[in-house]
Amino acid sequence: MLLTSILLLPLLGALIVLALPASLRVLHRTIAITVTGIAAILSLFLLLGYQGGIQGYQFIHEIPWVPSIGLNYRVGVDGINLGLVIMAAWVSFAAVLVSYEIRQKEKLYYFLLLLMCGGVIGTFASLDMIFFYAMHELALIPTFIMIGIWGRGEKKVYSAFQMAIYLSIGAMMVLAGIICLYAAGGAQTFDMEKLAGIYSQNPMPISLQKWILPLLLFGFGILVGLVPFHSWAPAAYTSAPSAAAMIHAGVLKKFGLYGIVRLILPIMPQTLQPWMEILVIMALINAIYCGLIAIRQKCFAQMISYSSLSHVGFIFLGIAVLNSIGLTGAIFLMIAHGFLAALLFALNGRIYQQIGNTSMDSISGLMQKMPFIGMILSATLMAGCGLPFFGNFVGEFMIFFGTWQSHYSWPTALAVFTGLIISAVYMLRAIRRILHGNLSSIASTAIDAENTWRKLPFILLMIALISIGTYPIILTNKIKDPVNNTLEPVISLTMPDTTNSDSSK
Amino acid sequence: MTIILFGILFLPIFSALSITFFSQKHPSISAGISIAISCITFLLTCVLCAMTQSQTLPIEIVYTWLSVGNLSVDLGFLVDRLSLIMLFVVTGVGSLIHIYSKGYMGKDPSLSRYFASLSIFMFSMIGIVLANNFLMIFIFWEMVGLSSYLLIGFWMTKGSAADAAKKAFLCNRIGDTGFLLGIILVWSCLGTLRFGEISNLLSTNPAAFSSLATITGLLLLCGVIGKSAQFPLHVWLPDAMEGPTPVSALIHAATMVAAGVYLLARGFDIFALSAAWPQGLDWLKFSTLDVIATIGAFTALMAALIAVQQNDIKRILAYSTLSQLGYMVMAIGLSYPIAAMYHLTTHAFFKALLFLGAGSVIVALHHEQNIWKMGGLQKRMPITFWTFLIATLALCGIPPLSGFFSKDYIVAEALHKNAYLGTIALVTAFLTTFYMGRLFFVSFIGRTRSKVSDHAKENSTIITMPLILLAIASVFAGFIGIDSYLMPHYSSQSLANTNMVFPYPSIDQAPDNWFKMLIYPFKHAPMAAILSICAVIAGGFLSFIFYFNAKNDILSSKFKTVSLWLKNRLYFDELYQNSAVWLQDKLALICDFIDRWIIGGIIIGIIYRIVDLIGRFCRFSQTGNIQTYTAIFVLGIIVLSYWVINW
Repeated sequence: MLLTSILLLPLLGALIVLALPASLRVLHRTIAITVTGIAAILSLFLLLGYQGGIQGYQFIHEIPWVPSIGLNYRVGVDGINLGLVIMAAWVSFAAVLVSYEIRQKEKLYYFLLLLMCGGVIGTFASLDMIFFYAMHELALIPTFIMIGIWGRGEKKVYSAFQMAIYLSIGAMMVLAGIICLYAAGGAQTFDMEKLAGIYSQNPMPISLQKWILPLLLFGFGILVGLVPFHSWAPAAYTSAPSAAAMIHAGVLKKFGLYGIVRLILPIMPQTLQPWMEILVIMALINAIYCGLIAIRQKCFAQMISYSSLSHVGFIFLGIAVLNSIGLTGAIFLMIAHGFLAALLFALNGRIYQQIGNTSMDSISGLMQKMPFIGMILSATLMAGCGLPFFGNFVGEFMIFFGTWQSHYSWPTALAVFTGLIISAVYMLRAIRRILHGNLSSIASTAIDAENTWRKLPFILLMIALISIGTYPIILTNKIKDPVNNTLEPVISLTMPDTTNSDSSK
Repeated sequence: MTIILFGILFLPIFSALSITFFSQKHPSISAGISIAISCITFLLTCVLCAMTQSQTLPIEIVYTWLSVGNLSVDLGFLVDRLSLIMLFVVTGVGSLIHIYSKGYMGKDPSLSRYFASLSIFMFSMIGIVLANNFLMIFIFWEMVGLSSYLLIGFWMTKGSAADAAKKAFLCNRIGDTGFLLGIILVWSCLGTLRFGEISNLLSTNPAAFSSLATITGLLLLCGVIGKSAQFPLHVWLPDAMEGPTPVSALIHAATMVAAGVYLLARGFDIFALSAAWPQGLDWLKFSTLDVIATIGAFTALMAALIAVQQNDIKRILAYSTLSQLGYMVMAIGLSYPIAAMYHLTTHAFFKALLFLGAGSVIVALHHEQNIWKMGGLQKRMPITFWTFLIATLALCGIPPLSGFFSKDYIVAEALHKNAYLGTIALVTAFLTTFYMGRLFFVSFIGRTRSKVSDHAKENSTIITMPLILLAIASVFAGFIGIDSYLMPHYSSQSLANTNMVFPYPSIDQAPDNWFKMLIYPFKHAPMAAILSICAVIAGGFLSFIFYFNAKNDILSSKFKTVSLWLKNRLYFDELYQNSAVWLQDKLALICDFIDRWIIGGIIIGIIYRIVDLIGRFCRFSQTGNIQTYTAIFVLGIIVLSYWVINW
């Protein structure tokens, strides 16, 4: 019930907003803040109530829906999605809080935003594949509309269309893959847990896996922005209003990564190995290539979009190395990166709103005008280049250790190089350009966050980032057991393989 | 014990947080909090030292910070003689510099930010010192990098300061890449990251790293090269002088840059492993220690040379720091960590004193840093003058000041083991005296060279008091037996395979009174002691001839080319700018081009055209004409029924 109420609250709020007349502007915002705030606070009870060391899902809530085809509403969390659900709830709350920048068509805006919030929470809470997919779509479609209506710049419609086409293709592939998984299981169920159980009893035929695995992998890959299917991301995030970019880049994009962990790793262990070796290379390309592009960007929004793609490369790497350290790191980094990306896009929104553009050539010395925003921005950018005591560092170093453990020696070196140097180059460059130096004339009218309400979203996200970075065990202890279960089929299959390569090294 | 350790580590971060949240608008309260807390940590360190007198060291207190699979990271405290000495230096010198900062920075509007950053630094540095495992050191290693970044760029509106901060952070990051990879190798070869366990494993099985020993050592060394600003990553330290002077004294002279040497001493068991290379690279015969010694010696000599032709008082001292760090690193390379730590300690005192003295001059001269615009300060600033003189003599290595003893160990060992390194050590000692003599004669002695130095006045007590205390430490640090205090730390570990040298054959033979201590260097290795004193006298004499009452720099007019190269710091910055930075820039340019034009332009363009074409084609079916729809509908039914019937 707890999970259901967390994900239903924003959707309920959306309906209330829809029912109210458009003139009650303040009320729309109040309702949005209230429902997402309550959802965020309720999500903390998940963390408190979660019991470690227990197999399987907790907080399960099940309502039969179309039992004849095995389609049920079923939500629950284990260590893997627990952190993601909490992250989704808090980022949603922060996204609603920064939405004071919206001054037109507020009713429609808050309706769509609340749909998005409910959708992202629902995606990660769902244990049923159809709900998992549908909730994702529920959050995705408002994104397009929000970019189209409240977006920034002249190219917003083009960006929205580009994003829509890319992501629809990706989502179609995922849907096809899900249906194949359903059909091939032959057990009339869309339940992820049951499917994993069924396929571990009698593995899916290799001939089918050969098709379904790449279909799902690249479907999810497109949704996350795997190079070369990433062009939608910088364009869309640059045009999107802050809240949409925060929720999409921070939370919704993790759908693809989470999907790989839930639907590919435990279900198709037999054909996994060669694809994961390819994914290691693609992940590195993502990290390095997008990192290098980020160095060249003149626009802050573009830079953080590419940096976000670069970070996603590390998460892919952590998944692809197929060991518990790497995968735990990947899930941890998903959560940390969610907070980080949300913070970056919120800050970007604030700067855009004050100055009218985010070109790093024309803005400088902003620290003098915006000490609070400047401090948060420096801290966030530092977190982004992997400074200890912020969440990202913990995830990244676990991924590095995991990569080495799977005997990928050069990829480890390249990943460490990217994580420590390339990211530092563009992050420090941004601080130097935007915050330090003499105050540029264009920035001289900027105002710092006026009051606590305006500061609150930044403070909340920053607290989240620092608390998981200083006290990571609160999450890792919960993540590691389900991660071991997820990897068990793969590891048991490749065991003779790894001992061979051990002795050869 | 646990409470004291927690207090020492976490009080500074508590101070930083309370300044940030509560007293940001009240600079003097912030300064008070920060100074009080740093003094408390110093007192707690004294208590800790007293407590450990009666206990067997090392003491290890461990909490799990993270544990996944076979990777486990502790929040652990390791208390032994090495960490105690370092802790003493950090909190002691740190407290004095906190107090001095209040005087030096007193009028700055961002004083709260300054003290908060300084507290973050103390927290991170103490974390490095107390860490019981490599990853915890790495975490705090990064954090000192952050605080150094914040403090170098403290005057952030100044472009040069912001650039210097960025450069320092990036240079450190380059080193840290190797460091982290080295840590990963240690973990994968030994399965643990704790120093104690690593020592034990390596003493029972020195071949635990098999063929990766030297590579691991070299990768870990990268971190040292970055943090201690050794060649080839030394370029950031001189630029770091853009920061406030007390910061240069604390972070970029006494403590943080010495963290690299501390790491070398801490992980000495790994560095001291004999050469072992994987197949294909086994023609490389050298061991990690050889590389360490060479890098140290080269840095010592190079930096001393560059210092000879610098004119900014802080830059001269910065190059002097580089050179002295080179000595320490070389000492480790000669498998003599005790001498390295000894020199680290004495150097912390007199180099901090030199910087603070320079800061005192800079304040009195209204932020004039060019030594050719100073002069005649002897009468005007007596306390600064005398303390600076003591520090200069200590740095040059004049007995009986502390620098003499610690440097003599290194020179003696270098002469004993390797004639080349010994010569470099002696030449560096000569150069040290020469450039310090130049600095001293030009900036303090003789006539005043500018109006500001004419009006210079001695600073208030809050600035001079730390100078006096540090001067006392610089004089007597050679007599308190730091070397014999450290001896048990190393002899307790079995390091038989490293042919490590101890200052005394055994602890009982350590000189027991100050006179014996004073003449010990002459008994132990008379040749080295006499040679190094000769080098010092020669350097001092030459600088006296050239620079006493000099109007301008004779060297730069006599040897134009050499002087130009030295003035331009041997063009390392330009070299890096045109190689590494250029390469990175071009790579980024290529990637950006591919993304913008090939993926973003051509491929998306093609897909766009195809979708567009399909759309246009499909539009023909949507004519809006009812008759056409009906015709197509009927046609469809016919086709469908034909298909169904013939099935």
